[in-house]
Amino acid sequence: MTEGWPVLSVVAISLLQVIGVAVGGPLLVGLMRKTRCRLEGRLGPPIRQPLLDLRKLIRRERTQPEHASWVFSVAPLVFVSATIPIAAISPLVATHPAFASAADLFAIVFLLLLGSVAIALGALDTGTAFGGMGASRAITIGALSEPALLVAVIALSVPARTSNVPAIVTRSLAHPVWLATPQRLLALVAFLIVIVAESGRLPVDNPGTHLELTMIHEAMTLEYSGSDLALVKAGASMRFAVLLTLFANLFVPWGIATAAGAGHLALGLVSTVAKVAILGVGLSTFEVAVAKLRLFRVPELVAGAFVLSVLAVVSALVVP
Amino acid sequence: MFSPTLTFATGAVLVCAIGAVWMTSVRSLIRMVSIQGLALGLVALILGIHQGDGGLIATAAVVAVIKGFVMPFLLGRATAGGSLVRETRPLVNVPASLVIAALLIVLAFATTRGIGRFVGTAAGRLVPVGVATLLIGFFVLVARRRPISQMVGLLLVDNGIALVAFLCTAGVPFLIEIGATLDVLLGVSVLMVLAQRLAGELGDFDLDALQELHD
Amino acid sequence: MVLVLILLLPLIGGGAVALKGWTGSVPWLAVASNGGALALGIWTAIRVVNRGTVAGPGGFLRADALSAFMVVVIGLVAVLASWLGIRVIATELAEGSCNHRRATTYGVLVQAFLAAMLLAVLAANVGVLWVAVEATTVVTTFLVGHRRTKGALEASWKYIMICSVGIALAFLGTVLVYLCALHAGGHSAGALNWTSLMAHARHFNPAVLRLGFALIVLGYGTKVGLAPTHSWLPDAHSQAPAPISALMSGVLLTVAFYAILRFKAVADLALGPGFSRVLLVIAALLSLAVAASLLLAQHDYKRMLAYSSIEHMGLIALGAAAGTPLAIAAVLLHILGHGLTKSVLFLTSGEIMATEGTSRIDGVRALLSRRPVIGGLFGAGLVAVLGLPPFSLFSSELLMARAEFNAGLGWAAMVAMGAMVVIFVAVVRHARGMLLGPAGPSETCAASPAWVAAPLVGGLVLCGLIGLFAWPLTDLLHAAAHVVTR
Repeated sequence: MTEGWPVLSVVAISLLQVIGVAVGGPLLVGLMRKTRCRLEGRLGPPIRQPLLDLRKLIRRERTQPEHASWVFSVAPLVFVSATIPIAAISPLVATHPAFASAADLFAIVFLLLLGSVAIALGALDTGTAFGGMGASRAITIGALSEPALLVAVIALSVPARTSNVPAIVTRSLAHPVWLATPQRLLALVAFLIVIVAESGRLPVDNPGTHLELTMIHEAMTLEYSGSDLALVKAGASMRFAVLLTLFANLFVPWGIATAAGAGHLALGLVSTVAKVAILGVGLSTFEVAVAKLRLFRVPELVAGAFVLSVLAVVSALVVP
Repeated sequence: MFSPTLTFATGAVLVCAIGAVWMTSVRSLIRMVSIQGLALGLVALILGIHQGDGGLIATAAVVAVIKGFVMPFLLGRATAGGSLVRETRPLVNVPASLVIAALLIVLAFATTRGIGRFVGTAAGRLVPVGVATLLIGFFVLVARRRPISQMVGLLLVDNGIALVAFLCTAGVPFLIEIGATLDVLLGVSVLMVLAQRLAGELGDFDLDALQELHD
Repeated sequence: MVLVLILLLPLIGGGAVALKGWTGSVPWLAVASNGGALALGIWTAIRVVNRGTVAGPGGFLRADALSAFMVVVIGLVAVLASWLGIRVIATELAEGSCNHRRATTYGVLVQAFLAAMLLAVLAANVGVLWVAVEATTVVTTFLVGHRRTKGALEASWKYIMICSVGIALAFLGTVLVYLCALHAGGHSAGALNWTSLMAHARHFNPAVLRLGFALIVLGYGTKVGLAPTHSWLPDAHSQAPAPISALMSGVLLTVAFYAILRFKAVADLALGPGFSRVLLVIAALLSLAVAASLLLAQHDYKRMLAYSSIEHMGLIALGAAAGTPLAIAAVLLHILGHGLTKSVLFLTSGEIMATEGTSRIDGVRALLSRRPVIGGLFGAGLVAVLGLPPFSLFSSELLMARAEFNAGLGWAAMVAMGAMVVIFVAVVRHARGMLLGPAGPSETCAASPAWVAAPLVGGLVLCGLIGLFAWPLTDLLHAAAHVVTR
């Protein structure tokens, strides 16, 4: 998959992507928070505030519940380290990052799942009620959203005849008419719902809530502090950034770097940042308008996404 | 131009069927039925324009008006007086119903592709969509506890069969299609009156309350 | 022209009721119009036997021997039911459970119901046949719920739900048959005419036709009351007023079966007799099993009669499965006999319910001693419906059994006879409690007036006469059988 691309460029691209996601993730979260505040008539914190928070947290002391085991300490590490390979091998800035041939959609979804499971296990390990509650809620949602994500991306892979994500992006670039098909539309809607569910944003979960009984993701990370909490927050924002970028590049691939030149890469970087920023602002605007769903209605929403993605696959297989 | 628009319209019919399983509020159910009726009329219209068949275009207009406006209006009248706003206790909960709906869609496509191949036209390949709508309608009929949901399920079954008829054979002869639509309309009116009478006797009832006659 | 008149007469009767209301002699006008339709039907039957098919204007209506026969059956039961309907409505108006407007609605709907059934059997086009059968479902829902009790409303809800789904499936089956016809070179406008279907049947795609015919049997079979989609039948037929139960059990079930017979003829030409045979045998044996197993536990005599209808529909389906001309002729004779007997039984049970006040079996005692005419009618009707001589059901069942043995369905005939034995035991047990025993000293009952009992006696006598001397009908029956067994 890396034929024609010099090895150094490819490694540099992957490194660029990882650093970009690591830095850009918190910036994205900050941007969304800023948009929301502005729409609500407040000034809001600066966009780089999440980065400052991370820096503050790294210097703080780590604490650990009395009965927690090594799982509790290892979970944030696994969480972040499951996200880094995704950032490295997905087509975020260019169509041929390092190890692009390994960037199979099943592998990516598996890595995402690995991260979610790690955090859930860490939450269970704390032995507190809120940890268990958050973990069970998150896994309930994940049980439906992961298959929906998988099937939605399979729907995209059918016309491209490959499950390799960079290859899907390349072939989508070559066939712009694919965007107007009904299966694309259905897969788009399903993917969007899954992103909202996986990242714990409204209407599934309110990231800014202080009420523990309404938390899903936050409840799992209540006991973390210091560098652990920094890792968890960083990992969450990185996952969100990766998912949004993948969404942008799978459905609106134009602008991504298709050759290894510096100009192409610069264009790729700029277009990706622009696309993700626009998506983030759009999502944030939507969140201002919508209320959080009652917990037992969240599986209905995600199951609906699952049906739409199944419909997308079926129509991709049957209708030319 | 013909094939993508036909695919969109047929897909809209199926998405409305999924919406009827997804939504639980009575107003959304009626809205789904209404949109499905209009989509069905659109399918007939596209087929009529493509084949230059005036009768089919006239049928499309009648179907769209009756199934898109008149029947939802009647359904709305039937449920206006009641205090029922939401289907609260379905026999199968919504996420499980949606998964079952997905399985029914796959089943329909897996088993009825042969008919599509027999028909041979581009429209024929979409016949499984109609069968899927029919199966989902059946499921809603069986797995819901409120009379409005059963009526919606019946309408889904009818719309699915009408869709198959349009795609297979460009509809049945005009007279019969009109007769069929009028019959369904009459049926819905009868159901509406019956539902009102039953509600008068039993209040906002659950179909499980209809237990008096049994062996 | 005659055919249009047959359709118009019940509608004229209905129009008269709509205009003048259910007062005075207007209901008798409706009965007379039904009688006129019957007379025209008999005339058409004679004409068809002597001179061949009668066609209506524009090729829209068509009467071959089978259609003419069905018109006669519908006419006979219609006269009986509308005659006794006057009695039932008069009783309800007198006791205040029905007001004048509801009586008028009842009258109009009954006439519309009859017109729809006549249209179904006279239609030349199977699409129009479908529209007519669906129309009967819609019209009869209100008739089933006429009494507005909780049970009646529940029965009518179940009825319209289950039958609408069945009819929708039958429509899908019709669409698939139409698809076959178009691909076999049929011309679009007339492709659904039954004669056109028969002409092109040999060129139909077998796989699609198989699916279509299976849907037809399932869909129209729901309206016939064949298991497994029979669950609406006991409720609807027991909660409806007696004349409606008579009409539904007596003819509506068999009109739906007529539709299956028409499609069976097409399917047998295209696929050979094996496929339809399998479907009909399965439906028949299931229905007989259901009827046999549930009759013993009945507490309501109207429900008992309804399950007996399921049994007879099973017998008819089994006879049709055999498929030979003799079998079909026996089936048609059975349709006539069952129509007469079951309608007399239901109408008599309506009389019983009006005076005894209950439809429970254990609420009625010693009918024969207290009310000899009604008790005698009920008892004789039960004897007839159990297939005992001299009534025609005995001969038709014997003929059907013989045809089944000849067609290799002897094992199914034996199973059916086993079920009939169980049913015999069950019905006798129930009837014994209702009919026999001495009357109590203080029980005096007003006898039913002669004008009520006369048609019922006439119906049973006719059935007995047909059982003894079938010769007026043999030509018609054979001609009708040959219509569907080429």
